[in-house]
Amino acid sequence: MSNDENFAAAYREHYWAVSRYVARRLDGRSSEVEEVVAEVFTVAWRRRADLPAAPLPWLYGVARNCLANAVRGYGRRRRLVDRLGNDESAHGRQVAAGPDAEAPGSWVHDALARLSPADQEVLRLTAWEELGVEEVAVVLGCGVRAAAMRLHRARRRLRAEIDRLAVLGGAGR
Amino acid sequence: MADELELLRSANPFTSDGPLYGDGPLDHHAERRLNRLLHDRRSRRCRLLWSLAATVAVAATVLTLVLGGPSSTPAVAAPRALVVQAHSTPVSLKQLAALAAAVAADGTPALRRGTHVQSWSLGMSDGKPPVTVPEERIVRWNADDSHTERDIEDGRVLKETTFPPSWSDVPPDARPPHDVAGLRAYLQETAYSKTPLTTPELLSAVGELLDHWTLGARESAALARLLAGADGLRPVGEVTDRLGRHGQAYVYQRSASRLMLIMDPATGAVLGLENTFTKDQPEYGVKAGDVMEYSAWTR
Repeated sequence: MSNDENFAAAYREHYWAVSRYVARRLDGRSSEVEEVVAEVFTVAWRRRADLPAAPLPWLYGVARNCLANAVRGYGRRRRLVDRLGNDESAHGRQVAAGPDAEAPGSWVHDALARLSPADQEVLRLTAWEELGVEEVAVVLGCGVRAAAMRLHRARRRLRAEIDRLAVLGGAGR
Repeated sequence: MADELELLRSANPFTSDGPLYGDGPLDHHAERRLNRLLHDRRSRRCRLLWSLAATVAVAATVLTLVLGGPSSTPAVAAPRALVVQAHSTPVSLKQLAALAAAVAADGTPALRRGTHVQSWSLGMSDGKPPVTVPEERIVRWNADDSHTERDIEDGRVLKETTFPPSWSDVPPDARPPHDVAGLRAYLQETAYSKTPLTTPELLSAVGELLDHWTLGARESAALARLLAGADGLRPVGEVTDRLGRHGQAYVYQRSASRLMLIMDPATGAVLGLENTFTKDQPEYGVKAGDVMEYSAWTR
């Protein structure tokens, strides 16, 4: 298959997985999710000669870079504006379908949010994108041993936060 | 109690069999984008060029600062909204734009990539009163297209990150033009809008621009002219901004908040933007007069 065909196959196969990856990190703000995903595949298209045989972790790596750029510019303002909900300058970018605040998962999200961004990412890649440690290493651009170590430490810290929340609110027991 | 990874798995907000972003055939938009990539390559704009090897340091510091949490910056007393000086004479934006055009005749100072911004913004979290988060950020670009971002607190560098070379021709990363029509289109693209911007959207996009670029005299003149044509932006008089600089203030009143644009009366450059609540919002723990967000830009 040519590079173009490989790219088209990867696009069709992984479009929704990449969308979920982005949505999980943008709290589901749908108009932004689409923008970022479009950017991910535009970048991937340019780099299609480098597309590996297992493209998904590589695509997540591209998405991670795109998100870092998007978040740097917009995250701060939007978060405040989204909180207000009815603010005009939000122009329709409110949360579209974030996780239900009443869902049993919400306190786990709280525990996750208390960790460092690096800890959060390695945990999400493992639990939500269901990647193995070798694949996590591809996304993070680090060695397998370093990825395993990061995951180990992040799990320990998540455990501590969960326990703390459980003690504070009796949640999850 | 379940394993922490199990708990996290069960809290996955978007699953492959979920209603949103679940696996399945591509939708119309996704299909069209793929076709455009495959067949339309010549006419496509060169949007983004990346050095993929670049391990982009996670830019979530900002998020951490805003969201609060155990490791965040401690709350400080919220600074008060700027006060317009009594009996000062308002200068119209038209007058200011004319002044800016005259000052820009020799083209100095020049446009510079990067920014120096001090901001104060209300960080909110559920069940806790809002806190004002101060932030000072300096972004400097180098000749090889790498850049360094510094987060500063009380004159101390909290965090310094150097990013590898990167390029983009998408606003607000792309170089801003110094003609009014070009700048208008640039700001519209910055705001991801398909329609002409309303005044609040325009001001928000201006903030975005100034968070990326330190405008030169020519860009400031074009911006002043653009702002002079914005609906509902009313001159109210003189203020002294939080950095002690004299400014002319222009106000846009919204249903529950007020936007104030602060311009340099000597050069017509934008000095700052302030967003203040004008109604109590008890569910968010904010009162009329509280400043939601304030940014001050310096060279």
